[in-house]
Amino acid sequence: MTNLKADIIVDARYRSCPGPLLSLAEAVMKANPGQVVLLLATDPATPKDVKAWALQVGHKVLRVEVTDDTYYIYLEV
Amino acid sequence: MPKISIIIASEKLDKVLPPMTLAVTAAVSGWESEVFFTFWGLLALKKGHNVGEVSSDYKAYERALKNAVNSGSIPNLLDLLKYGKSTGRMRIYACSTTMELLGMRRGDLIDYVDDVVGAAFFLNNAKNSDITLYIS
Repeated sequence: MTNLKADIIVDARYRSCPGPLLSLAEAVMKANPGQVVLLLATDPATPKDVKAWALQVGHKVLRVEVTDDTYYIYLEV
Repeated sequence: MPKISIIIASEKLDKVLPPMTLAVTAAVSGWESEVFFTFWGLLALKKGHNVGEVSSDYKAYERALKNAVNSGSIPNLLDLLKYGKSTGRMRIYACSTTMELLGMRRGDLIDYVDDVVGAAFFLNNAKNSDITLYIS
């Protein structure tokens, strides 16, 4: 389905806002520019939250996919 | 970058977690963020303070909320403070008057507290904030 390769995977499934975003932000802080972080989340607010956050901090959401209630959010650091 | 200034005047779980969620999310979004704990809010910053209770009107939901916090699906206060402080953009203040009132000393507060301050100090900090909230 996707040919995007994630350098780092953050599994924040079954955690509510702000858990997924905080875990993502923590991973992004440790990552290098250009790396791709994949966030797995089940909280339906997460895709919009991540997009709003990424806009403010200057990262790029590459793709959002949803399968079986899980969101797969690819973000370029 | 925008700035948010929040006053928390209750130690109840349902009064502390939502504004702290905003404060920490602001800090990880690059905002300046500060939270002033006053009156009963200060009790949440005491060393050894437990997860806390919900407001008396919402006791029916206490178990659900505590389970969510204990299982990690919702971050607890200490988790939020840890995340917020790791950004270097979130400051936590304790009200000096309440410290006196409750007979608390600096050493009674958790280490995440930046300073014990008064009303004028907070006002001076908060006057240029984009968002200000008072939660009690």
